[in-house]
Amino acid sequence: MSVNASHAAKSTLVGDCLRAALLVCLFASGRMDAAEAKPTPKSIAARAETHWAFQPLVRPVVPDAAVKDAGLTALDRFVARQLVKAGLTPGPEADRLTRLRRVAFVLTGLPPSPEEIAVFTADAQPGAYERMTERYLASPRYGERWGKHWLDAAGYADSNGYFNADTDRPLAYRYRDYVIRSLNRDKPFDQFVREQLAGDELSGWQPGQPATPEIIELLEATHFLRNGQDGSGESDGNPDEVRTDRYYALESTMQIIGSSLLGLTVQCAKCHDHKFEPVTQRDYYAFQAFLYPAFNIEKWMAPKDRVTHAHLPGELEAWTATEKRVETELAALKAECNQWLAKNRPAGRVLFADRFDQPLAARWSNTAPGDNAPAGKPPVTLDSAQAPAALVQDGALRIIESGSPNNRWLSTRESFNWQPAKTGDWIQVTFDLVALQLDGKGKPAERVGYYLALHDYNGSTPVAGGNMLIDGNPGGPTTLDVRYPGPNAKRRGNLTTTPYQAGHNYGVRVTRTDADKFLLEHLVDGAADGGTLTLSGTDLTPGGFGFEYCCGRSFVVDNVSVEASQPEDAAWAERNAAFQKALKDRREAYDKRTKELGAQRTPKPGRIAWVSDLSPEPPEVRLLVRGEHKNRGELVAPAFPAFLKPGTTNFTPTATTSGRRVAWANWLTTPGSPQAALLARVTVNRVWQQCFGTGLAQTPDNLGLSGARPTHPELLEWLASEFVTSGWSLKALHRLVLQSATFRQSSAPRAGALARDPGNQWLWRYPLRRLDAEAIRDGMLAASGKLGTKTDGPYVPTPRAAVGEVIVDEAKPDAFARSVFLQQRRTQVNTFLGTFDAPAIVFNCTRRVETTMPLQSLSLLNSDFAVKRGADLAQRLLREAGPDATAIVRRGFLLTAGRGPDAVESAAALRFFAQQCEIYAGKPDATQRAWADFGQSLFGLNAFLYVE
Amino acid sequence: MNSAFSSLTRRAFLGRSVGSLGALALADLLGQPAAADSSLPGHHRPRAKAVISLFQHGGPSQMDLFDCKPALTKWNGKPYPGGSLEVHFDKQAGNVLGAPYAFRPHGQCGMELSELLPHTGSIADDITLVRSMSTGSVDHESALRIIHTGKFLAGLPSLGSWVLYGLGAENRNLPAYVVLADPGGLPVDGERNWSSGFLPAVYQGTPFRSGAAPVLNLQTPAHLPPAGRTNQLALLDELNRRHAARFPENTELSARIANFETAARMQSAVPEALDLSSESAATKKLYGLDNPVTEEYARRCLLARRLVERGVRFVQLFLNGQPWDTHDKNAERLKGLCARTDQPSAALVRDLKARGLLDSTVVLWTGEFGRLPVSQGKDGRDHNRHAFSLWVAGGGFRAGHVHGATDEFGYKSVEQVVNVPDFHATLLHTMGLDHRRLTFPHEGRSASLTDAEVTDARLVPALLA
Repeated sequence: MSVNASHAAKSTLVGDCLRAALLVCLFASGRMDAAEAKPTPKSIAARAETHWAFQPLVRPVVPDAAVKDAGLTALDRFVARQLVKAGLTPGPEADRLTRLRRVAFVLTGLPPSPEEIAVFTADAQPGAYERMTERYLASPRYGERWGKHWLDAAGYADSNGYFNADTDRPLAYRYRDYVIRSLNRDKPFDQFVREQLAGDELSGWQPGQPATPEIIELLEATHFLRNGQDGSGESDGNPDEVRTDRYYALESTMQIIGSSLLGLTVQCAKCHDHKFEPVTQRDYYAFQAFLYPAFNIEKWMAPKDRVTHAHLPGELEAWTATEKRVETELAALKAECNQWLAKNRPAGRVLFADRFDQPLAARWSNTAPGDNAPAGKPPVTLDSAQAPAALVQDGALRIIESGSPNNRWLSTRESFNWQPAKTGDWIQVTFDLVALQLDGKGKPAERVGYYLALHDYNGSTPVAGGNMLIDGNPGGPTTLDVRYPGPNAKRRGNLTTTPYQAGHNYGVRVTRTDADKFLLEHLVDGAADGGTLTLSGTDLTPGGFGFEYCCGRSFVVDNVSVEASQPEDAAWAERNAAFQKALKDRREAYDKRTKELGAQRTPKPGRIAWVSDLSPEPPEVRLLVRGEHKNRGELVAPAFPAFLKPGTTNFTPTATTSGRRVAWANWLTTPGSPQAALLARVTVNRVWQQCFGTGLAQTPDNLGLSGARPTHPELLEWLASEFVTSGWSLKALHRLVLQSATFRQSSAPRAGALARDPGNQWLWRYPLRRLDAEAIRDGMLAASGKLGTKTDGPYVPTPRAAVGEVIVDEAKPDAFARSVFLQQRRTQVNTFLGTFDAPAIVFNCTRRVETTMPLQSLSLLNSDFAVKRGADLAQRLLREAGPDATAIVRRGFLLTAGRGPDAVESAAALRFFAQQCEIYAGKPDATQRAWADFGQSLFGLNAFLYVE
Repeated sequence: MNSAFSSLTRRAFLGRSVGSLGALALADLLGQPAAADSSLPGHHRPRAKAVISLFQHGGPSQMDLFDCKPALTKWNGKPYPGGSLEVHFDKQAGNVLGAPYAFRPHGQCGMELSELLPHTGSIADDITLVRSMSTGSVDHESALRIIHTGKFLAGLPSLGSWVLYGLGAENRNLPAYVVLADPGGLPVDGERNWSSGFLPAVYQGTPFRSGAAPVLNLQTPAHLPPAGRTNQLALLDELNRRHAARFPENTELSARIANFETAARMQSAVPEALDLSSESAATKKLYGLDNPVTEEYARRCLLARRLVERGVRFVQLFLNGQPWDTHDKNAERLKGLCARTDQPSAALVRDLKARGLLDSTVVLWTGEFGRLPVSQGKDGRDHNRHAFSLWVAGGGFRAGHVHGATDEFGYKSVEQVVNVPDFHATLLHTMGLDHRRLTFPHEGRSASLTDAEVTDARLVPALLA
């Protein structure tokens, strides 16, 4: 199942391979068309020497004021110079409430609350705007908003992607929380980057040692390196394909580092020297050599195994104590229950019992009652140890599997009638599960399969039903298939989720419930565990009971017992009825207590999905010719690319790591170096993009030779210098940007300026911007008073509903959490968010596309989410501003548009309210309904959906 | 034109190198309704204006259905004599496996097809059978991406998205690119099969679901009477126009205003298109709606015709999971699948022809790759990227024609080989689109469906009438 299987193909396919590799590059690469006709390595190197983004930072001189205005900051002077050149002038300052709403959305992704509006409006002193900005910078909502921006760039997802299965990443959330915390604390960005690249090495911690909160945070940070797609947990196919899948995860990580930190399409140098950038193929593998000790293809760990335990002192002990107490009590409850059952259950009629003290052949066979053909090839040998075999040993039955794929079984010679005669009658079969492997050796059986109604092998006898396989599962749902194996096999569903564990007794009971209806109950230690399926008479043909042989699953069982209710025995029936009633009462109490105890359990603390070297001795890394892992070229040592500041590569290994990643992280952030300058430029450019909608350079993931040229190169340079000088403080950068007159401008068009610069590249106004997906959803929740308080922890699931919509179940906890806390599954993006252009993460997303589609209108008009938020908003309005209609309308606008309505808007809203009241006339809740329609309409207003 | 640019952000169209073509199409999608009789946009005179893709997930076995290989019967059960094979499940490869079903010639053209495909046989003179397809991957997900997007990489635009980008919509009250997914569930690789990738999301496929809610959020909430909705739309219109008046240059705002109206019209247009009650009993019987085995697929084939009749540009039918992936019980499973799909697929072609729609509609029947001449395990066949067969009808394709050939065992396409990008180029050509000129600025370059400079994609004139 490998994705670029052409890489894994045989040597005859080299041409295809090269072609595929070239394709990746052309696709991922920058502007092939815009670049010079045919760049050569020499011309590329020459251009790189002087390319703006690859130079050390030189702080530009702030221009003199080109326009007389006391309010202009240094930033504005850079902008003004370009405006003057273009024959433009800056716009007037936007009004107070417009500025407030703009700052609130940019910094927190939420609309200003009425309280925030009131505080800002009431502050008539100079510096009110700056104080307001500070309030938002200090809000925990800031980290959630800007954390999401970084998570997009870092390619964060809660699933592994790659294959269709798109399996879960249950611990990824710890990295998300680390990011949010770090941004809220304004952690210096260079430190933030170092932690994500090499937190494990920086921490000095080793598995097994006690940890501190600081250490834990450093370990969580390394999840950055595993944000890429990783299908290695699901790899099948031949060994080449498996290796390709692993390389893909490593290469994805390199690509994400390239686009999010370096602003370079490094992935293009995987198969050959970069066609447009000064990155050689050797550079690519020299860079890979820094990461390789953690991604050693030959010592690979699947995503679910790349987990460490780091807990605070006492944390684990407390958890273990709770676990032990709960388990003890659960075991006691269960024992009591079982004792009671054993004592009180009216004994059935024993139809068959085997305690496995005698050889098998007399009572068991490898075929089925009434069928001559043995099941499978080779069939099971009885009373032998030659696999596949069944053998009595130590008073138990050993199911010895050989591993070849044919389905086969061991069946009773006796046939049973699986259809009890009368309603209420039953037949059951139970057995002790002694062990899931033989003598504690080999792979534990991942299923304990057993059959009811065995009558033939592989459809050779034309009987419609029977051959019912119950696939007892130690770690997941136990399923039931009818007519198994064969073309007519049919999955009937999940019977139970109780895990099959050695030391317990399992089985099933069939009870007739109607003329042609039978209840199949799953039994654990003699009692029904609540798992049931419904069967018909057709399913329940006469036949034997047996164990399944498949897939190398060996296990040990004992005490097979087939029992039935006592027919035609009035006394027995009476006793049984009394027993059933007593059992029901007991079960209720038992279930209640079990649930209470279960609620006291918490996941084992300290589990962190991290990245660390797989061994301290660095494995050898080779250049892969044409990017093919079967085509191993020269040995490559870790080294920094020549077009940046090379630096020394002396590594200090730790007890568990090679020291390579920490060296790379330190190199990247070396003060005064061109690479640190590049990191600062990439970061500042992306921050500008989040504040103005477009970066100063319009390709945020590519500042290389093939990237877009910045519109304001000196401004970008100056901001990067200021950013570094401030100690890489994002909040200081925000202050520079948000306090500028450029940011505070009105969005109103001016005829002359529009004609000269319709695209506003010279920033003569603040652009009108649509809210992004998260801001729309979060804004609707905030305005309607529903926004949740979740600030961290496992994601809020976003299941796919029956109609196909990916939703949040509003009955579940944290349903109204901010969107950053919703499950970010690559193939299952929340429909509402996806409709408004939230990305399905493939690698990462350094900028969002923005569309205008009828489906968005349908969503705002008809979606359950929009309708419910409209009703919530109406309730809030009635509560906070009712019953006066004018006041309600006013507050509705305040909550959604951040301002009151003007006279025309107010009149239109009141007229609408009156019309809706007329429509709902006679209904007791007519007013609420009318206001709910109004509330929902507010979310369809461009005054809500756009920020000026 | 202007409205097109403003409907997306400035960013989406930064590289203005995008031809006027895409922009025009976008205007059709989002702006003024395209006149029903307007001449189509495009690079040259088109033969087809719509595509119906009957996608067959899993890799249908070419040598058991379309490509008769007597050598398989001769060598059945013996070691494969043809040299090394590229095998996906390398430990399970067995001996040569003969085709379990007989072939016979059909139509005046004498096209040889398996006895499992009698209905396809009945349209042999209307279809082009390509026996020499070849693709780049033996892995389902990446092969799906190749057949749908041209490359094995994830996150690229699908064929339907490119067609829509090039030609726009004819009927803006219906989504222009409709996916009729299997009621049984999503296909492998799910929504990526109809993703618009880096093209704007307006070009992505809209899945119609079976049942009462074919399109998400299509129904006005139950509590809101029609008059209430009318009032609501009027309120939105008035207030949003007042807002937009302050930004007269911003046509994205006008597009958003218009979209509320479009959305409301879609609410009635979609159910009308999906209502089969006006179809005659004879038509329903032709498709197999009267037979429980064919009924489900027949319904979707018939819906596809109704959608194309109403101006939908691209319709795709999918199967849940990947049923043609016959790793075991190849013979039995092929029988069941053909029983389910053969009649409805052929009926679609016949019905389109009878209504005069086949000339302007391409019907495409294909999977993502083929299967191997040897057995996998006892009775299955493993993946094969070196050869597969597809058929295509209508829209200027050469009727009653067999193109290309595989080797003696059907392992490898050897004559007149058609790579997937070649087929894409040819299909675009019938739509009036030049695959080298249908480009979109992506990451600084002009990306296209075929990227001919690396795939060497070329038109296959021999496939065209």
